[in-house]
Amino acid sequence: MLQFQVWTLPVLILTATTALAIPLSRYLAWIMDGHFAPPKPLTWIEQRLDTGAQNWKQYAVSLLLFNTVMFVFGFVVLTLQPVFGLNPDGKGMLAPTTIFNSAISFLTNTNLQHYSGEQHLSYASQIFFVCWNMFVSASVGFCALAAIVRALRGDARMGNFYLDMWRVVAYIFVPAALVMGILLLADGVPMTLHGGASATTVEPGGMGSNDAGQSQPQQIARGPVAAIIPIKHLGTNGGGFFGANSAHPFENPSAWSNMLTVVNYCLFPFALVLMFGRMLKKMRHAWMIFGVMMSIFLAMTGWAIYWDTLQPNPGLAGLPVDQHLGNLEGKELRFGTSAGAAFAAGTTAITCGSVNCAHDSLNPLAGITPLAGMWLNCVFGGKGVGLINMLLYLIIGVFIAGLMVGRTPEYLGKKVEAREMKLAMLALLVHPILILMPTGLFIASDWGAKATNNPGAHGFTEVLYEFSSASANNGSGFEGLGDTYGNNDNPNPAPYSPNWDIATGLVMLFSRFIPIVAPMALAASLAAKKPTPFTVGTMRTDTLTFGLVLLGTIIMVGALLFLPVAALGPIAEHLGPTPFGG
Amino acid sequence: MNAHLRANLWLLGLTIVLCSVIYPLVLWGIGQTVFTEKAEGSMITGAKGEVIGSHLIAQPFTTDEYFQPRPSAASYKGEASGGTNWAASNYLLRDRVARQLGPVVKYASGPKKGQLAAPDIEAWFQKDQYAGKPGIVAQWANAHSTVAQNWVKADEMNGNYVTAWQKTHDVEVAQWKTANPDNTDPKPEDLAVPFFTSFSKSYPGTFPSAVEHKSPDGRTEKTVEPVKAGTDIQSVFFDMWTHEHPDADLEKVPGDMVTASFSGLDPHITLDNANWQLDRVAAAWAKRTGADPANTRGEIEQLLREKTFAPLGGLVGESLVNVLEMNITLQGRYQKSAGGTVF
Repeated sequence: MLQFQVWTLPVLILTATTALAIPLSRYLAWIMDGHFAPPKPLTWIEQRLDTGAQNWKQYAVSLLLFNTVMFVFGFVVLTLQPVFGLNPDGKGMLAPTTIFNSAISFLTNTNLQHYSGEQHLSYASQIFFVCWNMFVSASVGFCALAAIVRALRGDARMGNFYLDMWRVVAYIFVPAALVMGILLLADGVPMTLHGGASATTVEPGGMGSNDAGQSQPQQIARGPVAAIIPIKHLGTNGGGFFGANSAHPFENPSAWSNMLTVVNYCLFPFALVLMFGRMLKKMRHAWMIFGVMMSIFLAMTGWAIYWDTLQPNPGLAGLPVDQHLGNLEGKELRFGTSAGAAFAAGTTAITCGSVNCAHDSLNPLAGITPLAGMWLNCVFGGKGVGLINMLLYLIIGVFIAGLMVGRTPEYLGKKVEAREMKLAMLALLVHPILILMPTGLFIASDWGAKATNNPGAHGFTEVLYEFSSASANNGSGFEGLGDTYGNNDNPNPAPYSPNWDIATGLVMLFSRFIPIVAPMALAASLAAKKPTPFTVGTMRTDTLTFGLVLLGTIIMVGALLFLPVAALGPIAEHLGPTPFGG
Repeated sequence: MNAHLRANLWLLGLTIVLCSVIYPLVLWGIGQTVFTEKAEGSMITGAKGEVIGSHLIAQPFTTDEYFQPRPSAASYKGEASGGTNWAASNYLLRDRVARQLGPVVKYASGPKKGQLAAPDIEAWFQKDQYAGKPGIVAQWANAHSTVAQNWVKADEMNGNYVTAWQKTHDVEVAQWKTANPDNTDPKPEDLAVPFFTSFSKSYPGTFPSAVEHKSPDGRTEKTVEPVKAGTDIQSVFFDMWTHEHPDADLEKVPGDMVTASFSGLDPHITLDNANWQLDRVAAAWAKRTGADPANTRGEIEQLLREKTFAPLGGLVGESLVNVLEMNITLQGRYQKSAGGTVF
């Protein structure tokens, strides 16, 4: 019975999502190819935005310009929080470094949160900063992918960034978010502009008493939650309305909403792979990529469930606790037995970063799954950018396979040469460098050592996780890490929280834009080449054999880069003494 | 460049109107008209119309009459959700679980089947021998310095007790200062380990605990004193006791009873957990209402059965009970006959 319950949830989710992704990909390709003829007023809007077809440089410049606008707008909205209105609970201003970090975090689709939503943000900030950023930052990655696909299939121009952005936001994300929002409202997600509620506890004095002996009420934060949650997941953003993110009952009231959530964050990354195939007219190739991604996805999910749901928490060994439901520390009960581990695997493979359990409290080896998801960063990955990362691995896979059989490597009928390899390596190596170097710096100094919440190897993993999450633009965390400054007037901020704000802010910025712009240049460079004729000697990229080469490339490169730190972190924790220290 | 600027501003303006005005307004409108109660947070109101909680948010219960929710790292604060974020390798996790277990754990077999282990823990503690050496408290503090420090910080009284000790134990304090030359102005918690080491020698078989006294003018006062028995000893030293008694066959408690959720607001417990608490809850209500204990137990068991549900119809999870809803039902049913007020 139990075994059956553990595996039904992931199977249900993956089947439902794949089934939805197939028709959705058709719609996405139709929109991105401009086949949708909108009614008059919308045509007028499109004309305001369309500055004409762009080459890769113009497209990239437009993308960076709009991201600058996003930064400025986000920074201003957060800074003005105390005077902006829609602030029934009277939230003050965040610390400047936290505003810097949050503005970058949300524009890069990371949603690393060095604040706690219900404690630090007003409803205006939630709607004008969080919600808006979630829509547009998800669209930025989407557009970058669309532009790259157009170049790969040989279009002379990459399209128009502003027009693409509008189409993705207005014709794709907003309608989808509305549908999801209604489903979530029906399940109990709040949507109110009233301030927090104050409840008289059923047992007098349950929340303690004040000095005069009167029972304290239970304060319950709420707000316009149902507007944030749909796009939080559809856009693989992951930033919670509440500190506890998708573990909070108001963000995720039931097993049903939890299932919707996972389907939501998987849906677009799944569909984009198929959209890629449709736009290129190479469905076999797309299904090959889909298969490679899905096999890694299944392996990671299975690993997490095996080590966390089917194993007890090793810290409680010898105590009279019935652990047949697995490690329950940091888990909610209502989502289902394996929901925490399955969610942890999905949210990091997909680069969503939403969490429904405490990743920090996962069993040591289970913690490898979310880390590996962020390290590889191409197992479906974030909106658009995950597939872009996969294209880099594809180029490298083609190159390695080409060397092995002694042929000029080709991808989609174009020769892969020195320039392409340089760009691919640049985009690929940014990620490990921006994870490993800051982790080393912080762990060697008090900046990291004084911020950890757990002793020994696990403390190291907390620091490693934070930078992995920042660099993968994921946003989940081993949340015990002390990186929250809080409001600007907080007398007791976490020590070194400004260092964390600035360092992760910069990491998010570089590891967002280098892996977007470099592949655009790469695709443009391929587009400019003459297609080589398809012959019997052409190395095919849509076969099972090539799928295995690609899988091998991802695993080998990933393992070479990250196995040493995995050994220092989760593996050392697993093999070391439990409990560790006092 | 002008074209870029214009397009950027149009895109900014249009997306703000669409994503931050129209979209949330539509959802707000639907929420406020179609899903009115849910949109406000599924609040439960009492007899006078006052809010007494939310269906979705756990509320703390401490007395025996009520089912108790899972432990909460957020102290059940609905305005500051959060978990412990403790790793399996963190002793604080094991310590929290062990402390909760010590006073309530029962033997599963043998001559003492069904009896609490707590008296045996106290008797063992008073002998003051661990791993063949004297000084349980000293060994405890040296092995788990973080936990010992947390004891000092937990209450101002405890801190004052250590400060008072510090004034009369120059030798120990001087020793500590030689070992820690960087810390020139130690706080009471910094001295936790030498304090407990010295305490263990001075008062073998005891632990410093808060004791209530009636002062001459009738008020109750609390002071910290060495005690030989009580909840502190049963809880703090349960983990060490299990190490010394690996053969003790103890009843296992449901896992969700001793683990904290990530939100700190998990409104449910498993049916196993509720059944584990059933005896206590039924006995307490039977005592208050004067009804037959077996009858009351049967009634509450029936109520539990009615309130139980399983996530997605049992497809993905265990049978669960909403603690707050269950307790409100209990209160509505029994409080009146017990002479209390029903809200």
